[in-house]
Amino acid sequence: MSKKKIVIDPVTRIEGHLRIEVEIDENNVVKEARAAGQLFRGIEIILKGRDPRDAGLIAQRICGVCTNVHYRASVTAVENAYGIVPPPNAQIIRNLITLSLFVQDHIVHFYHLHSLDYVDIVSALEADVKKAEEVAVSYHDYPYRSSVGHFSSIKEKLTSFVKAGRLGLFANGYWGHDAYRLSPEENLILVNHYMEALRIQTTLSKAIAIFTGKTPHPQNLVVGGVTSVADMLNPQRLNDFIFIIKDVHDFIERAYIPDMKLLVNAYKEEMKSGVGRGSGNFMAAGSYMIRGEEKIFEDGVIFDHDFDGIEPFDEKHITEEMARSWYKSDSNDPYSEKTEPFYTDLNEDGTLKGEEKYSWIKSPRYRAKPMEVGPAARMIVGYLKDSKRIKPVLKSFMEETGMELIDLSSTIGRNVARAVEAKICSDAIFDFCSDLIENIKYYDEETWTKFDFDKLPKETQGCGIHEVPRGVLSHFVRIEEGKIANYQVIAPTTWNASPKGEKGKRGPYEESLIGIRLSDPSRPLEVLRVVHSFDPCIACAVHIVNTRGKSLSQYRISPV
Amino acid sequence: MRIVIVGGGIAAAYAANAIMQKEKGHDVLIVTAEKYPPYDRIHLCRLVDGSATVEDIRLDLHKSVKVELSQKIVSIDTVGKKVFSKNASYSYDKLIIATGSKPKELFDVSELENASTFRSADDGFKIASGIKGSNVVIVGVGPIGLELLDTLVKMDAPNTVFLLSRSRHLYDHVLDPRAVEWIAESFEEDPRVKISFEDEIVDKQIEKNRISKIVTKRYTIENPFLIFGIGKKPNIEFARESLDCDRGILVDDTMKTSDPDIYAVGEAAQLRSTGFIAGRVKECTQQAGVAVDNLLGNKPVNFQMEVAINELKVRAFQFVDVVSPSYDPHSKANEDIIIISKSLKRVDQYIVYKDLLIRFIGLNSNVDVIELKKMMEKKTPVDPSFFYRSRKESKKGRLVCSCTGTYEQDLIELIKENAVTSFSELKGLTRAGRVCGRCRQDIVELIKRVHIDPELAKKIRAQKEAAREEKKMELVRKRIEKFNRLHPRNRITTENLEEALKALDMNREYNRWISMITAQMRLSPAYEEVVDSAVRQLNKIPIVWLELADCSGNSEAFIKTSNPKITDLILNYISLDYHELLMAAAGQHSESVLKSVIQNDKNRYILVVEGAVPLGMDGKFLRIGPRGETGVKLLKRVAEGAVAVMAVGSCALDGGVVAAGPNPTGAVGVSEALGRKDIINLPGCPVNPVNIVGTLIYYIMFDEMPELDSLGRPKWAYGYRIHDNCERRGHFDMDEFVLEWGDEGAKMGWCLFKMGCKGPYAHLNCPQVKFNDGMSWPVQAGHGCIACGEGKIAFDRYANERTIEERKR
Repeated sequence: MSKKKIVIDPVTRIEGHLRIEVEIDENNVVKEARAAGQLFRGIEIILKGRDPRDAGLIAQRICGVCTNVHYRASVTAVENAYGIVPPPNAQIIRNLITLSLFVQDHIVHFYHLHSLDYVDIVSALEADVKKAEEVAVSYHDYPYRSSVGHFSSIKEKLTSFVKAGRLGLFANGYWGHDAYRLSPEENLILVNHYMEALRIQTTLSKAIAIFTGKTPHPQNLVVGGVTSVADMLNPQRLNDFIFIIKDVHDFIERAYIPDMKLLVNAYKEEMKSGVGRGSGNFMAAGSYMIRGEEKIFEDGVIFDHDFDGIEPFDEKHITEEMARSWYKSDSNDPYSEKTEPFYTDLNEDGTLKGEEKYSWIKSPRYRAKPMEVGPAARMIVGYLKDSKRIKPVLKSFMEETGMELIDLSSTIGRNVARAVEAKICSDAIFDFCSDLIENIKYYDEETWTKFDFDKLPKETQGCGIHEVPRGVLSHFVRIEEGKIANYQVIAPTTWNASPKGEKGKRGPYEESLIGIRLSDPSRPLEVLRVVHSFDPCIACAVHIVNTRGKSLSQYRISPV
Repeated sequence: MRIVIVGGGIAAAYAANAIMQKEKGHDVLIVTAEKYPPYDRIHLCRLVDGSATVEDIRLDLHKSVKVELSQKIVSIDTVGKKVFSKNASYSYDKLIIATGSKPKELFDVSELENASTFRSADDGFKIASGIKGSNVVIVGVGPIGLELLDTLVKMDAPNTVFLLSRSRHLYDHVLDPRAVEWIAESFEEDPRVKISFEDEIVDKQIEKNRISKIVTKRYTIENPFLIFGIGKKPNIEFARESLDCDRGILVDDTMKTSDPDIYAVGEAAQLRSTGFIAGRVKECTQQAGVAVDNLLGNKPVNFQMEVAINELKVRAFQFVDVVSPSYDPHSKANEDIIIISKSLKRVDQYIVYKDLLIRFIGLNSNVDVIELKKMMEKKTPVDPSFFYRSRKESKKGRLVCSCTGTYEQDLIELIKENAVTSFSELKGLTRAGRVCGRCRQDIVELIKRVHIDPELAKKIRAQKEAAREEKKMELVRKRIEKFNRLHPRNRITTENLEEALKALDMNREYNRWISMITAQMRLSPAYEEVVDSAVRQLNKIPIVWLELADCSGNSEAFIKTSNPKITDLILNYISLDYHELLMAAAGQHSESVLKSVIQNDKNRYILVVEGAVPLGMDGKFLRIGPRGETGVKLLKRVAEGAVAVMAVGSCALDGGVVAAGPNPTGAVGVSEALGRKDIINLPGCPVNPVNIVGTLIYYIMFDEMPELDSLGRPKWAYGYRIHDNCERRGHFDMDEFVLEWGDEGAKMGWCLFKMGCKGPYAHLNCPQVKFNDGMSWPVQAGHGCIACGEGKIAFDRYANERTIEERKR
């Protein structure tokens, strides 16, 4: 059996420097896959020795896409270490921002980073605009900007791009590839919303900036609360925020959800046959209390698609392996254990040394198993735990499209989970807004919990664990002599993009690639689909962490 | 290198600026005993008559020079390389002493209310406030005494003014007695003035802190105000223990003292070789320049005395004084040749030493002194009769500015021709009045004297301005025309841009955006038209955007901007050919896009780089592409053929947060990685997209980089301190501070300085442009600035919620 190696580097339309290598057999079926992070920066090393209050401003720079959530997780970890609880208004403002980010991330991911794997822009030129309108109406009574006139002008614009022969960003896509399934009209509908979503994501970031000063890299969180009290008390600012969210909510209802239904129908066969399905281990940590009674996201852990065997999440089962990652550790004495970068290079021809170490990403494991995190995990867990916020929305979507729960564990399924989640988050934002207005109305204007830094314990540790758009994010901080002694991050992409672990068990990206068939190995579109369906964010994923089943914050890191 | 300069006068300021001009990157600190930053002592009289404030006579300092005020240096530790004031110490690698001189006094007047020396701004203020209704007694008849007298006579405040001369001289003991007589007469036309020759103080009565009576040989003066203007001596007491001193600190011809790391310049220094001590501005700045050259280790330079020209104007008399370095006032061999015109009150006094002209003093003289200067420089031998026979009259009136050799007639022509109505308008036309500053006031008065029709002036100015603008605009138009002939990379051409705008309902937004960009680039609204046509050319330039050791924050910011939505810019106007985050192609296919741009568009494409460049481990902390090329190799390969390289975000400037201590991956900025200085840096974390677009448009319009600051940042965006343009600045000035997160001040939007806002240390246009479609910026969100645009230092020193002082604790 002859094996052929395909290298995709850079994987584009993702954050960060990711390489995918797959080996295919003579039938073009993937037999082996490797995912490798290709950049190491060492933000944790930089954090070491700094004042814990400064962690947030540095840690948020782990990623410019998920910037907000690292900021929050970092500040929360320090608050957790000191036992500081921010006042309700501060929590609400933090939640408004995080949930807006969920919506923004999901929209940008689907339309701008992922949809071109399913949508053939060139084919959209053939569309009959009248027919396109009819198709759009079949998915929603009032589809978003889908009149014949509007379709005509979009089509005209596209025609002028394509005719020029130079497509700017659209150049060299896999246009005309066999794996594209949409009709010209369906392609046009999605291209239309691709353009609309550009505007939506811009206005949504304006909404976020109302409370954060700017985005990316917001600047409004401090240990103990938030700083944007003047914006919170200004009715005009809150009003602007709510109206943008209303606009976005409208887009989700009339564009994002219907488009997803369209996609499910077109690629149903693929979904039902489980293309892009991984090992079936899902993990969600749960997050975001609303009105002190219910969580928006439930926690739970599932192994091997055993939906009946769901168990509660417990962080103490998290370990991390590095047999195939470019780190080494001196493990003779657990208390002096150090993790250091240990780079063993690439092969001469620039390919990965697949049987040795090959990635800057480590392999976090739960009960020694690789876990998939993210919207699919959250939606499955929420459904199984009868979440009032998740189950009804998800159920109605599944019924309309003929889906079962197992279908979420696929390339298309991850996208469905993301769209449904965007709707759930945008609904929740309104609830948080009304709570905030209620508080202010009754003169609760507090946004910060006072503390005297000099009187806080000098030795302590804490963690901030949140569900964020791509999955479970955990920041751990250990403080000694009032300074950061150790700082560790496990980001969602660390879980999903992890390389093989100690027993050679593949990470979720890798496992999900096994068995897919490429119709044209020189244009590996099917590989991109699987990888993109996880919404990779590699800057987040590369971190020095070492746990080996012990408490996460006991280990030292040493600079290179 | 940390260079400390002690002193607060022109030599100190000149030395500091010279260092910054010659070599960037040094830490320069001026320590002055006075409570004002360095100012120009030449204009002290203007503080007395109130026509100027200290701020007006402040000397320009490079913005990176730091100044410590009110720190009188009391000793030097040459071994530990530190200078000490009473309550502080400053370490140095190199030290420059420019402490100038102290005024001489007959007795100590520092504790007296109604007596003063005349050497500092505070002296000026003391005199100004004390002379009202007093009988002023000026002791000393040199240029300083005369100038002060001239100033006081013009004021109403003094009751009477006495000028005491121990002999029968004024100005200088060699000045011709007839000239002395005229000057005295002229002053005494004012009945309040008494010039008392061969007189001195013989007795005084002091009660508490006041002199109640002064008795001179001729007068008894009640209610006096005494001013000493009798000379000066080097101000060097603090250095006597540690350095070789005579009258001044002894220096060799390179201005180096007995300690190899310490230089002394100006009135504090005494040349070992000749015993010379500088006294004139020109000599002081010249010495400062020599010291800086030697200190920076450039070619060794020696101080050489030059022919000096001094001027002074009192009453109706205009002095001009040309002195050769070989002039010895006490030589017996000096001969005077005096030519006098009684009717014109004109004196030409030549002093000749053995056939050589060594000094010329002119009173209202019309002799061409530049000719005389040349004569002294060339050491042309002359026969005394020469001066009688061939009087070198100046055809162009008197010399106004001796530094630039500009005559009155030159200036008048310049003023008329350009319809100049204020001193500032002369900038760019002549340097006169801007070198030592001595004649500046003279020129101001000259401008007043020359009649210019205001209407005409306005017209000429407008014409000139228009001509200048038109010329500039014409260049820009030509440049854009060049792009017009290029094939667009996107299909959108000028014609269907209109349509596209219409299709997107963006006509209005687009126009607003053009205005906004024009304003942000600090161009006049007249430029809107060309900015618009430049925008229409954006799609002719291929752009490659590389992400290195980054977080994609700048790309995120770029796609989130609006007005018009930048995404439309990308799709319609900018030909963003390679961008990992946004492009459809991946792997081999994206590689081939890059290859094609590098090959086919050599020297045409613009490279935008985001992220730091890790150099540790041979650059292998970052590998990109199917062949696993390191980040630094990829950068070098793509940068080579780029017509311009723009480093966006703070990581690309100098490594930013990735290079923050301990810099685990050895990260540097783009400029350092490429070893090139011609990189346009657009730092910020993230960079404001307006600054990227503005820079691109600037490039299209002017075919050159915008003017850059010392960090390679365009001045139009980075030339302004955040603190100075902050919406909360008023609260800072009113002492209204947020003292705790969420307090009443925070609710009212007070100043965040005490919560660690680093706006005072940051240079960026955030307060004007803001972020996310002008929605907000960190200060508006109540957090304060972290000076993220200053690069990695921001993440080591500024990114926290404590003031610099608190952080040190």
